[in-house]
Amino acid sequence: MNCVEFERVLLEGEQTPEQRAHLNSCSACSNLLSDLQLISNQAKLLLASDEPSPAVWNALESRLRREGIIRRAEPSRRSFGDLFWRWRTAWLVPVAAALVIVGVLRLHHPAAAGDNAPIAKQSVAPPPVAAAVLSDDQQLLKTVASRPPAQRARYRTELDDANAFIRDAQDAIRNDPNDVYRQQMLINAYEQKEMLYQLAVDHVSEQ
Amino acid sequence: MTDAKRRQGDKLTEAEAIERAKLGDAEAFHALYDLHRRRVYSLCLRMTGNTSSAEDLTQEAFLQLFRKIGTFRGESAFSTWLHRMSVNVVLMQLRKKNLPVVPLEETMEGDEEGTVRKEPGAPDERLAGSIDRLQLQRAVDELPPGYRTIFVLHDVEGYEHNEIADMVGCSIGNSKSQLHKARLKLRELLRMNRAEKAGKK
Repeated sequence: MNCVEFERVLLEGEQTPEQRAHLNSCSACSNLLSDLQLISNQAKLLLASDEPSPAVWNALESRLRREGIIRRAEPSRRSFGDLFWRWRTAWLVPVAAALVIVGVLRLHHPAAAGDNAPIAKQSVAPPPVAAAVLSDDQQLLKTVASRPPAQRARYRTELDDANAFIRDAQDAIRNDPNDVYRQQMLINAYEQKEMLYQLAVDHVSEQ
Repeated sequence: MTDAKRRQGDKLTEAEAIERAKLGDAEAFHALYDLHRRRVYSLCLRMTGNTSSAEDLTQEAFLQLFRKIGTFRGESAFSTWLHRMSVNVVLMQLRKKNLPVVPLEETMEGDEEGTVRKEPGAPDERLAGSIDRLQLQRAVDELPPGYRTIFVLHDVEGYEHNEIADMVGCSIGNSKSQLHKARLKLRELLRMNRAEKAGKK
């Protein structure tokens, strides 16, 4: 076996007796094999050896929020531990849940929601429940008013996003009220807002 | 003990983070990202040789994963799932840029001269004991893209040749051949680097 033949069969991995005999007699091939094994072994040093900049997570998180994949904010480290606050905010959960119920009712029983026309032909003016919703949003913002500015801003942003999501879903439903996917989208939109209200209550109970 | 206090004491396990991420929990996504970011980023960096591209691809890999997390059922390890997705993201990027994922030549057949050349009087020097991570990293960055892909997938990330062949769309024989050539090229680069340093002294 010569050096060229040796290198050709090196690809296969397992050494034949012929290869071993050649290695014992050829320092060049012996060094080559040793070097290639060293390179292969040292390659593991490159595994998970580098750190991305914090900007990667920041950009990723923004996209996840915009796409609605992140639907709950990170829990606050601040402690409230006050039954009074818990009572004051406990009403938020049933109100938000009512939003989901109203949304579903309007989908399937427009008459029961006080309107005989199909959803696509409903008037653009917001019904009474929408006015109550706006008032509830203000109440939510008042509830978190005593929290750090960054947190208040986050609640406001998430509330705006949730309302925008609901409006978009309502617009989509008007265009095609029988589309099951759009109906589910509207339900998801109300549920997203309900989770925000739930989060506000959760923060109060985490003491 | 409330959930918040338990989390302050114990980090979320991966399984917990996955279930909470399915519900849209921001902390859970962050935990999953923290667990795997170095591995994914290093893979992207090794395969592209460019920090900016690697960061973009890292973000894209996690984004694709998190979009589909609701479908994860635990049949395979989460890290395996993420890792495979990361490789696919990088390979797609290389193809978009028309960079060779695998060099065109198939095997070593026809290369009669071989790569082990005996020079009369030249000392047979080994690399043993003279490679550190930084040297190897620089040498890998200098590899042609096709060689780099195979070397990173096999020697760094630990994929088998049949897996590599499936991912990049080549034969197993081609994968083995290109890996061998990548290692030979690295050997050449590392020896040149050592010769340059010796010349400076």
